[in-house]
Amino acid sequence: MGADFTQQIRDKAKELLEKGTVECVIGYETGSDGVSARPAFIHDPAEVDRLVFDNTCSHNLVKYLLNKKGKPTAVVVKGCDSRAVNLLLSEKQIERNQAFIIGVVCPSVVEWGWNKRSEQIQKRCDWCRQHTPVVYDFLVGEPVTEEPPPDFADVAEMEAKTTEERAAFWREQAERCLRCYACRQACPGCYCIDCFVEELDPEWVGIRIAPQENLMWNTIRAFHLGGRCISCNECERVCPVNIPLSLLNRKLEQEVLSLFDYRAGMSDDTIAPLITFRKDDKLGIGE
Amino acid sequence: MTKILGKKELESWLSSIMKDRTLVAPKHVDDLTLFSPVQSVEEIAFNYENTNLSPKELFFPRTDTLFTVERKDSEMEITPAVIEQETVIFGIRPCDAWGIATLDGPYLDDPADSLWAQHRAKTTMIGLACTKPAPQCFCTSMGSAPNDSSNVDILLTEVDEGYAVETVTAKGERLLQGVELKESDVKPSVPSCDTDVPAEGIVEATQKVFDDPYWSRLADRCIHCNICAYVCPTCYCFDVRDRTDRGKIERIRTWESCQSKGFTRIAGGYDPRADKGTRLRQRFCHKLLYFPQQFGPLGCVGCGRCVTACPVNIDIREIISDLQELGAKVGQGSN
Repeated sequence: MGADFTQQIRDKAKELLEKGTVECVIGYETGSDGVSARPAFIHDPAEVDRLVFDNTCSHNLVKYLLNKKGKPTAVVVKGCDSRAVNLLLSEKQIERNQAFIIGVVCPSVVEWGWNKRSEQIQKRCDWCRQHTPVVYDFLVGEPVTEEPPPDFADVAEMEAKTTEERAAFWREQAERCLRCYACRQACPGCYCIDCFVEELDPEWVGIRIAPQENLMWNTIRAFHLGGRCISCNECERVCPVNIPLSLLNRKLEQEVLSLFDYRAGMSDDTIAPLITFRKDDKLGIGE
Repeated sequence: MTKILGKKELESWLSSIMKDRTLVAPKHVDDLTLFSPVQSVEEIAFNYENTNLSPKELFFPRTDTLFTVERKDSEMEITPAVIEQETVIFGIRPCDAWGIATLDGPYLDDPADSLWAQHRAKTTMIGLACTKPAPQCFCTSMGSAPNDSSNVDILLTEVDEGYAVETVTAKGERLLQGVELKESDVKPSVPSCDTDVPAEGIVEATQKVFDDPYWSRLADRCIHCNICAYVCPTCYCFDVRDRTDRGKIERIRTWESCQSKGFTRIAGGYDPRADKGTRLRQRFCHKLLYFPQQFGPLGCVGCGRCVTACPVNIDIREIISDLQELGAKVGQGSN
């Protein structure tokens, strides 16, 4: 995979930049530890050899397209990342003709390891059934047949706990939260110009970095992603205090799946059930 | 001669400290190591590279009440926050202790910050020298060392027989009163920190590179979260707000960061650092240019936390090298 994928990405990037199809190619390069990949922004065809692809390419680069509005840009996406492209297209945040999607059939990515390559496959890859991107203009790798999705064992395990146990668990997590907002900043679905958490009037969430306020922050953010989360799990990867945010996101994903049979980002013309309204929606009211 | 405290004796000393003071020490919490108050020696992590979060929050908590206001018999009563508890920090690394000392610049400069001054007065620091610096560490490049005792009250260095003890301040001496130390001719080994970061002359180089497009290119990658600032032992910005709760008003301050959108937004809506490039530049110029100009030392102690915690590998060691290179080009008139 590695060398061949890397070469195909470099060749395509070079072609796109030389022809002027795009101004910038967003891909991955080797980071400062010489091991793990980091996002790379290539503007000059002479620099395409910086680009690499291997199983440390964890970041969801689609988020960066939001900073490139109006500028033709190519972006390297894995399967899960590609669902973010559809999410942003369906929510009219990016334009299809401005984005050139270099899809990569994902080999599954490993946990981040500083100075040392980790062997541990990320848990999001265990859930993932979208190794082949759902949208692309150029595909690297051969499409694979996907297995049926696994159940929500992690969610079930949490739900098996008593209310008190769950409350204690989340309180402990919330105590650690620094409100650094890295989860929001990494999330392709979080693009509000003014996030509710920073609004002063009304002040939805107090600014104290304390369990009560932190729980409020994490809960409301999870709800804003309900039916919109595309399961890239970047929020959890970037969290500096390892809060298992996927438990919140996957619970909501499970609910939306069972109520609406909907998975976010699978196409570019459907809107998440919780941000739209249809007359025939079964609301469970007065029925 | 070296003074030695045996491992057992260290444990009973720490246990006795816990009786009348708050003892804060590194503790494994899930897969993190964090400074936490401990109630028994068993809770303490003795083997760790460094904690995931810096100990600055023991002096500058993430959220702090500055004062409270309450109505008492139709009068308003203002009560400033008072730190009463004596705290002992065990296991602070030399780089982090230096970080605390660095922040004395802005926080004790006239007028001194009352809470910082109180925390400083009530806290005694037992440092633990690094025997195995982590690959991201670069304290020696920034002018310190894995066994630098300058900013702690007592420095312990692990040796075969226990811990070599260096009593640095009178406060440290008081804490050690009655503790029996053995004499030994063992010499604690001095670990080396291999990472070489070209920090010499960085103030001048940074000044020259102020207007370079370097910053906006780097900001392409930055996702502008606050991780770097919050894990940093020398980032010290905060936000202040009043909080009301049934007639009681609290003025609180919480951590904030120059990476936040709107951090510099002023009345009327203007934001002098509205774009990502200028926000990123601010963080590094503050550490490498403004802070040394104002207070003397660089605003980075080389703990390496931001290097490993940044989700997109914005690496201050790499930035220092880049600035030196770009600064040298400006000098040659070829930029």
